[in-house]
Amino acid sequence: MIEIRNLEKEYGKNQKALDSITQDLEGGIVSIIGRNGAGKTTLLRILSTQLKSSSGEAYIDGLSVNKDMKKIRNKIVSIPQEAAPIGILTAYEQVFMYLTGKGFSFHSAKQESIRALKSVGMDNKMHVPTDELSGGMKRKMFVAMALGSNAETVFLDEPTTGLDPLSRLETWGAIKELTGNVVLTTHYMEEATELSKKIYMMDSGKFIGSGTADELLFELRGKVRIESRQHMPGSYNIGNIYVKYVDRSDITKYEKVYYSIKQISIEDLFIIRGVNLES
Amino acid sequence: MLTLNLRFIMTMAWYYGVKTIVRGPSYLIASLATPLTLLFLVFVLSHGALVKFAIVGGLIAFVGTVGLSGAGDSAFFRLQLRIQDLYVPSRVSPFDYMAAFTLSYLVFSVPGIILYIYLGSAYHLFNSYDSVMMILVMLLLIISTTSISFIISGSIKHLRNIWGITGILTIITSILPPTFYPYGYVPKDFLYIIALSPTTPAAVVVQGAFGLSPMMDSMFYILIIETICYTILARILVRWREN
Repeated sequence: MIEIRNLEKEYGKNQKALDSITQDLEGGIVSIIGRNGAGKTTLLRILSTQLKSSSGEAYIDGLSVNKDMKKIRNKIVSIPQEAAPIGILTAYEQVFMYLTGKGFSFHSAKQESIRALKSVGMDNKMHVPTDELSGGMKRKMFVAMALGSNAETVFLDEPTTGLDPLSRLETWGAIKELTGNVVLTTHYMEEATELSKKIYMMDSGKFIGSGTADELLFELRGKVRIESRQHMPGSYNIGNIYVKYVDRSDITKYEKVYYSIKQISIEDLFIIRGVNLES
Repeated sequence: MLTLNLRFIMTMAWYYGVKTIVRGPSYLIASLATPLTLLFLVFVLSHGALVKFAIVGGLIAFVGTVGLSGAGDSAFFRLQLRIQDLYVPSRVSPFDYMAAFTLSYLVFSVPGIILYIYLGSAYHLFNSYDSVMMILVMLLLIISTTSISFIISGSIKHLRNIWGITGILTIITSILPPTFYPYGYVPKDFLYIIALSPTTPAAVVVQGAFGLSPMMDSMFYILIIETICYTILARILVRWREN
């Protein structure tokens, strides 16, 4: 359980990355979704003791991220956004080294490295220099670090950004192996839906909604998204297109103006909340 | 009390020091190229008269270069690979992290050091007592230059800058100080100024220890103080937990 209380982070004058947020994050796998610059990475870096907050406090299982840093660091793993392996070393060597950094004995580090790498499906690739691995394999190596360390809470910052669809599936499989609490950030809506039981929405340094995918999509139930080049009353303007949410039964009314009909997805929740968009 | 995560330090030294010698020997050869070229030039231009200075200087320049090249690695690990961020929320302290790099570079330097020991032995330069002093100086030198590399890498925001800064610094620290020539050639006041580079006191002490130049005890203390100062400064600038 993570409790965030009036947490604020300012970079320079009037550049608020986090705007006095208060939120509880449930256990299990949860996702924080939001556009680039929403404050997801800043929040994760503060929670994982990498970055000091300007004010406010956060607690992981009752421990303060400011006052109980050492204790928290023993219980968590944080995989940074766009983390990349040391190409000249193998996946096994890097997981082993990481686990010694987490305080494991050489014997335990060896056993856990092998177990974790096998769990994420890297049986045949663990002794290959990581320069020679695919993007998905590289990300899975980092998940193996989290898995091997048996961390109580794992922070994954955009774990599949930049991966091809197949590599993303591979990485999702590895993330599902994690047994502790997992907080992952993403801007892929289907990733949040696939992996997490609860989704938290962030924008401009604030939480703007939370719930399961079904709960969040409830207000758009029975609707579809139509897109048009022409302005429609009650539509949202995104770049050079207009988006409107209409009941399925009403689609025919818009036949002459729309060029595309789409199923509702979580990204539509940001649109109807007017996130950085003109309505 | 300062306690070190020795398991992590030794593991990194093994993987990033020893294994990289085998997997990426070009890096080692590149580190040796400049000192060996200068050794050759000094030998030719002085008709062999200053070759002992060049051997001692080459060893210091090589160890210093390897230590300073850590700036590129540590900046790359922090800004590009995000490996430093990975280790912040763990039991690895900033001192563990810096010590792991330092030991890795020390281990990585061993083949080059052996080459210079061979050259020194061929010229009857080394004896057992003075060699103890040399080992101590080399240890202080690798700690101080690696600390400088962390100071630089912690101060930059863009990776592109690091290669240029390291290149300039390597030349300034390995060629400008009296590494390849007798320190007596340098005016004493200027010698104290260039003593800001740890290679200067290291070269002066080793030249004195091997009887190539008069002994200058003060430089040994300067080297110790510098090493402590650079290490503390590196700890502050390593950007472990950012503001």
